[in-house]
Amino acid sequence: MSEAATTTTMPGPGADAAAPARTAPPAERRGASARNIASYLQAAPLALILFVFLLIPIATIVVVSFWDYDFARIIPDFVLTNYKEALGSSVTWRTYLNTLRYAAIVWALTAVIGFMTAYFLAFYVRSATMQMVLFLVCTVPFLTSNIIRMISWIPFLGRNGLLNSALIHIGIVDEPLEFLLFSDFAVVLAMVHLYTLFMVAPVFNTLMRIDRSVVEAARDAGASGWQTLTNVIIPLAKPGIAIGSIFVVTLVMGDFITVRFMSGGQSASVGLMMANQISLLQYPAAAANAVILLITVLIIVAAIIRLVDIRKEL
Amino acid sequence: MTNGKKKGLSRRAMLKGTAAAAGLAAGSGAITGFPTIWAQSNITLRQFGTGVSNLNAIAERCKQDLGITLEMTALDSDATAQRTVTQPDSYDIADIEYWICKKVFPAGVLQPMDTNKIKYFDKIVPLFITGKLTPDSVIAQGTAPHTVGFVEGMDSTTFAKEPTQWMTLIPTIYNADTLGIRPDLVGREIKNWKDILDPAFKGKTSILNIPSIGIMDAAMICESAGIITYGDKGNMTKEEIDTTIDFLIKTKKDGQFRAFWKTFDESVNLMASGEVVIQSMWSPAVAAVRSKGVPCVYQPLEEGYRSWGGGLGIAKHLSGAQLDAAYEYINWYLSGWVGAYLNRQGYYSAVLETAKENMTPNEWGFWMEGKPAEEDILSPEGKVMEKTGAVRDGGSFYDRMGHVACWNAVMDEDRYMVSKWNEFIAS
Amino acid sequence: MRRDGRRGPAFWLLGGFFVLFVLFLYGPLSTIVLLSFQGPDGGLTFPMNGVSLNWFRNLFEKQAVGDFGGSFLRSLILGVMVMATTVAVSLLAGLAFRRRFRGATFLFYLAVASLIVPSILVSLGVGLGFQIAGVPPAWYSSAFGAQLTWTLPFGLLIMFAVFNRFNRSYEEAARDLGASSWQTFSNVVLPIILPSLIGVGLFGFTLSYDEFARTLMTAGTFNTLPLEIYGMTTNVTTPVLYALGTLTTLFSFLIILGVLATILVLRARRARRTAG
Repeated sequence: MSEAATTTTMPGPGADAAAPARTAPPAERRGASARNIASYLQAAPLALILFVFLLIPIATIVVVSFWDYDFARIIPDFVLTNYKEALGSSVTWRTYLNTLRYAAIVWALTAVIGFMTAYFLAFYVRSATMQMVLFLVCTVPFLTSNIIRMISWIPFLGRNGLLNSALIHIGIVDEPLEFLLFSDFAVVLAMVHLYTLFMVAPVFNTLMRIDRSVVEAARDAGASGWQTLTNVIIPLAKPGIAIGSIFVVTLVMGDFITVRFMSGGQSASVGLMMANQISLLQYPAAAANAVILLITVLIIVAAIIRLVDIRKEL
Repeated sequence: MTNGKKKGLSRRAMLKGTAAAAGLAAGSGAITGFPTIWAQSNITLRQFGTGVSNLNAIAERCKQDLGITLEMTALDSDATAQRTVTQPDSYDIADIEYWICKKVFPAGVLQPMDTNKIKYFDKIVPLFITGKLTPDSVIAQGTAPHTVGFVEGMDSTTFAKEPTQWMTLIPTIYNADTLGIRPDLVGREIKNWKDILDPAFKGKTSILNIPSIGIMDAAMICESAGIITYGDKGNMTKEEIDTTIDFLIKTKKDGQFRAFWKTFDESVNLMASGEVVIQSMWSPAVAAVRSKGVPCVYQPLEEGYRSWGGGLGIAKHLSGAQLDAAYEYINWYLSGWVGAYLNRQGYYSAVLETAKENMTPNEWGFWMEGKPAEEDILSPEGKVMEKTGAVRDGGSFYDRMGHVACWNAVMDEDRYMVSKWNEFIAS
Repeated sequence: MRRDGRRGPAFWLLGGFFVLFVLFLYGPLSTIVLLSFQGPDGGLTFPMNGVSLNWFRNLFEKQAVGDFGGSFLRSLILGVMVMATTVAVSLLAGLAFRRRFRGATFLFYLAVASLIVPSILVSLGVGLGFQIAGVPPAWYSSAFGAQLTWTLPFGLLIMFAVFNRFNRSYEEAARDLGASSWQTFSNVVLPIILPSLIGVGLFGFTLSYDEFARTLMTAGTFNTLPLEIYGMTTNVTTPVLYALGTLTTLFSFLIILGVLATILVLRARRARRTAG
C-alpha cells in the first residue's frame, strides 16, 4: 500500500511496455483479438494527441527548416542555406559548447544533490506519508510563476540583495559579491534550483524498488555503509540516475528563459539563440537550429541509454 | 442623435474647453452619433502591443466614451513583432513601433488607413508626416517614422517616399531616449554617450538587448567615443556593423556591463536595486525609479537622443462595422484624452493640440514646455511624481524631440546585424 | 517496511543536507514573501519602503497593464483541462500497455521522445503548424495540445510505475468472484490506484499552470497567466507580482494539505474495508 502512495508524486518510469509479454498471464491470451481492440481503443487518445501535437509539429519544423525567408515572410522552397549558415558560423558552435557546458555542470550538481536527497527520502524517512509530505514540500515553490521567481532572484542575489546583506552582516565578506548575479554562476544556480527535482523523482523511484534484503545481505557480509552504497545501491540506482539525467540534460539544452534572466542577457544558449531568431521572424533559421538541437539531444540521450540500460527500469 | 445621457456627458467631459468645442464643430459630421451605434452593437476590438501603451485605463475610457470594448493584450516587443506577422487573425488593432512596421507591413498583414477618414490628420506632429519637427529641422538618421508612414496605394505594401492618402500606422506615442543615471552613485558629471564607458562604472552599466534598438545605442556610444563615424547610423554597412560589434564585444569582455535588459521592468529593477548606475533607459522608467524614492536622472547628452515611435495599425481582415469602429477608435485616440494621459507619463502624443486641452496649464508647462512645476505633478493614479518647482530632465518638447540624433532602425543589412548581435551576446 | 530505523550520523548528515536543499528551494521564495509586504511606494527590489498589505489589496484591483483575473482564469481552466485529460488519457494508455499490442513499443518511444523534445521546439512546431494549416491558435486548442505533449508522458510513466507494482491477484480474485471487467475495474483497480491518479492530476496541473515556453507561440489572442506576467514586465510592474506569488504559495500549501487529507481518508477507509 505504501508503494502505491509513494508513487503518487513520482514520475517513475516503469511497467511492462518494453516487455509486455513478461507480465501477461496466460489467461489473457484467450480472446486476444477482443482484448487487442480494447488495447487499441485505450491507447488511441494518447497516440492521437502525440501524432497531432508532436509528430506533425516536428515534421513541420523539419520542412520549414529548408524554406527560405526574407525579413517579413517565410517562403516555401528547398534551400540548405539555413543549415549552412547555422553550421558554418562559429557563433553556433560556441553557443552549443556553452550550452553543453551548462548541461554538464548542472547535470553533475543535480545528480549529486538529487541522489543524496532521494537516498535520504528512500532509506531514512520511515513512513510513506512522511515521504510524500516531504516531496510535496519540495514542489511548492514551483507553483509560483517562474517569471516571478526569476525576478525575485535579483533582490535575493543582487548587490544589495538578501544574501549579500546577510554575508556582510555576519562579516564573511566586506564587499558585496558581484558574481552571485548575472553570471554563469547565477545561471547554473537557477537551473539546479529548477531541475533538481526532476532528478530526485526517478532516483527515488529506483531506490524504492531495491530489494532491501540485498542491502541487508551486503551488510551481513561485512560491507561498511559506504561500501554498500557504492557497490550495491548506486549500481542498482543507475537506471533512475540515467532517467533523471535525460530529464535534466534535455531541460538544460532547451532552456532559454533561465539563461536570459540569470545571465542578464550576457550569455547565450541554443534555446536563446532560437528564441532570438524566432523573435526576429527568422523562422526557417530557427527551425534549422531546432533540428540540429533535436539531433544533438537525441544523440546525448542515446549515449545515456547505451551506458545504462534503463529498460531494466521499464 | 440618440445619444444616451451617459455618452453625452462623458463626451462633454472629454472635450472640455471651448477650443475643443470649436475643433469638434469642424468635424462634427464625422463624429456625431457614432458612439451610440457601437454601444448598441457591442463592437469589440482586440488590440495588442507592449505594455508601454496597452493600458487598461485607455480601454476603460474607450468603453465609456465610444461604447467600443477594447481587449488589450500586453506582450514583449519580440512577441509583438511575431504576432503581427504570424497570427494576423488574432488581433484587430496592432500597436507596434515604426521599425517593426518596416518589417511587418510588407508581409501584407495590415491595411493602410485612409487619411481622409482620420479626423485629426492635419494636426499630427509633422515628424510623422514630413519627418521634420519644424520646417528647418534636419531629419534624423535611422528608420524615421515618416519613411515607413505611408504606402503608395490602398493595396500597396510599398512604402511611399512622400506622404500619400494611405497611412500605415497612426502615431500614438514616441519619445527621445537617452541614458538614465543614478546621480547619487555616479559621482561625476555625465555629458556624453561615451561616459557609459568610464572605467569607474565597470560592472555597473547596461544597454538594451533588443537588436534593432540596442545597436543604435551602441552606435551613439561608439560615435561619441570616437571609435567610428557612421555614414548613416540607421543604415550601417557591414564594415560599420563589424566595427561596432567588435567594440561592444571588447567592452563586454572588459566587464563594463552588468547586464543587458529587454523589458521596461528589468531596466527599472536594475536601476532601483543599484545593480546599475548608468544605462540606456526610457523616460517613464526613470519616473518609475524616482517614484520609489530612488534618485534617478534622465540625462540629456551632447550628441542628442535616440528616438522611437509607435503607432496603431489596422489588421487586414477588418471590414464593415468593425473597420468603421477601428477608425472611430483611432479618431478618439487622437482626440485628446489619451494624448494627455500618455503625456503625463513622460511620453509624447501625436496630436499636441488636443492633448493640451486635456491637461492643466501646469501639467502642460511641466511636461511639454520645460517649465518648473507650479504645483505638484501627479501621476494618472494621483501619486505625486514631481514636487513643485521641479523641471523636466531635458526640458521642453522641442528641446528634446528637436535633438534626435537617430531613430530605432531596421537596416538593409538587418540579417547580418542580427547575426553579429547574437555573436556579441554569445561572446 | 522501511528497515533503516537507526538514526546514526548518516541520518543526521543526510537529513541536514535535505534541510539545506529545502532551504535552497525556498530561498527566492523568501524574497517574494518579504517584498510582497512592501509599502505603497516600494518596488520589486530592496530597500523596503515601509510595510503594508497594499499589494495584496491591489491584486484584486485593476492593473495599469494586463489583467490578472482573466489570465488567471484561463490558466486555471487550462490547468484543469490538462489535468483531466492527462489523468484520463494516461490511465487509458496505462491500461492498454498492460497487454501486448502491435505498435506498443513505437508508441512508448514516441511518448518518451515527447519528453525529450525541447519545449521551445514544440512551441514553434505547433505554432507554425497551426499557422500553415490556417487554424487560429488559441490557449484552449494549440496551447492545450502543446502542454499535453509534456504532461502526458509524465502521466504515462507514473501509470507504468503503478501498474508495474500492481498485484494482479486482486483482479483475479474479483473475477473469480464473478465481477464483470467493469466492476473489477471500478471496484477493485480504481480505488487502489486512486492516490496515484490524484498524483498524476496534481503533476499535470502544476506543469500546465506554470508552462511558459510551450505556450509562448501557441496561445493565440489571449494570454495565460505566465505570459500575462511576462507581458506586464514591459511596463512598470509592482510588488503586486510578489503578492500574487505569496498567495499562490499559500494556496498551494492549502491544496496540498487538502490532497493529503483526501489520501489519508481514502486510505483509512480502504483499511477499514479490508479489515471488515
